[in-house]
Amino acid sequence: MKINRDVVSARWDMIKTRFAIYMVLVGMIILASFLSPVFLSPRNLTNIARQVSVITIMSFGQTLVIISGMIDLSVGSVMAFAGIMSVSTYVATGSILSGVVVGILVGVACATINGLIVTKLKVPPFIATLGMLTAARGAALLYTEGQNIYQLGDYVMLGQGSIFGIPTPIYFLVGLAIVMWYLLNHTKFGRYTYAIGGNEDAARASGIRINRNKLTAYIIAGAFVGLAGVLFMSRVNAGLPNAGIGYELDTISIAVIGGTSITGGTGSATGTLAGAFIIGILNNIMNLLGVQSYLQQIIRGTIIVMAVAYDSFAKTRRKVG
Amino acid sequence: MRKTIVVLLVILLAAPVFLSSAGAQEEDVNRVAYIARAQADSFAAWLANSILIEAEKYPDITVDVMDGQADDATVNAFIENSIVNQYDLIILQANNAEAQRPYVEQVVDAGIPIILTNPRIEGIDGTHTVDADPYEQGAVNARLAVDQVPENANVVILNGPAGNMHSTARREAWQKEFLDERPDVQVVGEQIAHWNKEEAMAYMEDWVQSISRIDAVISMNDNMAAGALEVVRGDSAFEDLLVYGVDGTAEAALLIEEGLLTSTSFQSAYELARLNLDLADRILSGEVTDYVHTDIDCPLITKENVHILREAHEDAGNL
Repeated sequence: MKINRDVVSARWDMIKTRFAIYMVLVGMIILASFLSPVFLSPRNLTNIARQVSVITIMSFGQTLVIISGMIDLSVGSVMAFAGIMSVSTYVATGSILSGVVVGILVGVACATINGLIVTKLKVPPFIATLGMLTAARGAALLYTEGQNIYQLGDYVMLGQGSIFGIPTPIYFLVGLAIVMWYLLNHTKFGRYTYAIGGNEDAARASGIRINRNKLTAYIIAGAFVGLAGVLFMSRVNAGLPNAGIGYELDTISIAVIGGTSITGGTGSATGTLAGAFIIGILNNIMNLLGVQSYLQQIIRGTIIVMAVAYDSFAKTRRKVG
Repeated sequence: MRKTIVVLLVILLAAPVFLSSAGAQEEDVNRVAYIARAQADSFAAWLANSILIEAEKYPDITVDVMDGQADDATVNAFIENSIVNQYDLIILQANNAEAQRPYVEQVVDAGIPIILTNPRIEGIDGTHTVDADPYEQGAVNARLAVDQVPENANVVILNGPAGNMHSTARREAWQKEFLDERPDVQVVGEQIAHWNKEEAMAYMEDWVQSISRIDAVISMNDNMAAGALEVVRGDSAFEDLLVYGVDGTAEAALLIEEGLLTSTSFQSAYELARLNLDLADRILSGEVTDYVHTDIDCPLITKENVHILREAHEDAGNL
């Protein structure tokens, strides 16, 4: 009897350690369903998924970069710049595909610059991407002279359309979540990324090409951010050069809430997805309940800290135990 | 590699000297500093662009635009730098009236003429002001709404940033001119969307879920009104939705033409720019002997007269 109890207890501890953040998410869903009768309605749930899709896609890129021991503060500005160039391309050519390709390429180009500055010039990622944060924003504002671009026509289908009743951004979200999961868990690149973030010296000693992996991480993240820019602009039906201000902090928060270690070496696509939905559900339920703006900020900050504290506590107990 | 970086750094640091117009300054030209609140803000950018275009009509005036980046410390630093650089006149678009007040007083003490625009800062002797009345901007829409909004209506409200004078005054107008006049109307949702379209969209998406009926959206600017409209565009359940905004942006003109936006009030950056530069010119030429305080009109724009808005934006190349 005692042995069975110990086994059950050990299994429960393992579950809590590995799945703490998902338990928080499930707990929030259960609580929200009691607090609002419309929370579990299909329309509300698709609203949440649609609202978090852009920031989650950006957060996947941020997660990848953080796991490899770096950071990207430029995601908000690059998203805006990529989105602006995408919209401009569509307005000029009438081709949605061209717009999407240009958006992704701009994201990749900015990220490549970040990666080269970090790997070749040995500038700390914080500084390199801080520079890009300012430069990309300036580029977006300069190109548009600070004005919004309107009359997007069919371009809005990407962000506002639906297929079989499911909003289009959700297909992008799910697809990119799968891509991210596969990259991290089933490719050499993913394994090297974890190794570099966990212990860069050991990774170097074992023959991993650090700079190439880091550059690749930035480039992939840039592609995610570029696509996020396309979806964002099509969702709001305008090219907004001042979009995404502060999104870098949101993406870092989502990654960390999802279990990504800010020092590198730990993180997952599913964790980031859970982190994004924790924030999305929090915002949604507070809006459904009519919670006042200032109070929302206090509650949001408190719950974010509590969610991460629970996750950290569960992992710490496991290590000590 | 190190030498290359040093050379690049020198070039980049020297670039502003070559790119600026200060090097080619003529003695008879008056230098005006225009300190914009934040060029990332589309209205502030519109005003800054309009100031530059209007300045071209005055061959004896050059305007240097400075971006305050919506940061009080940055705006205040620009004010101080403009004093040190001995500009002939400063036009300031304050980010926060009280935060800029002591620095504006420094400008007055330094004997440099200063025009406060969009917004004005009340109670500082020695300043000129050119502004629109934010209360009236809200009020013209509110008075229309008194007759248009159905009985026992449910309304939602989208506000600008907390403490922003224009948002606060417009909201006050809606309270006095509409909500106090129509006690049957219920405010079923009110949030701060920071002038942003995407924030307004998120709030509207959630309100549509949790509120059984929304008859009107009251927005303190056109951007947020447009965000709310994106959510319900094409939804027959919201065919009769009334939506009110402020600013008279190019997008507002399109939305009014489509029959989606009910009304807005035109805060013409073109007119603000015209009055600012005209006043600056008269001050610098000595024509003005007293302090000038001017408000632009804030005409109500509906489907009947939206052509006024469209023509203004077409002339400026925004449509």
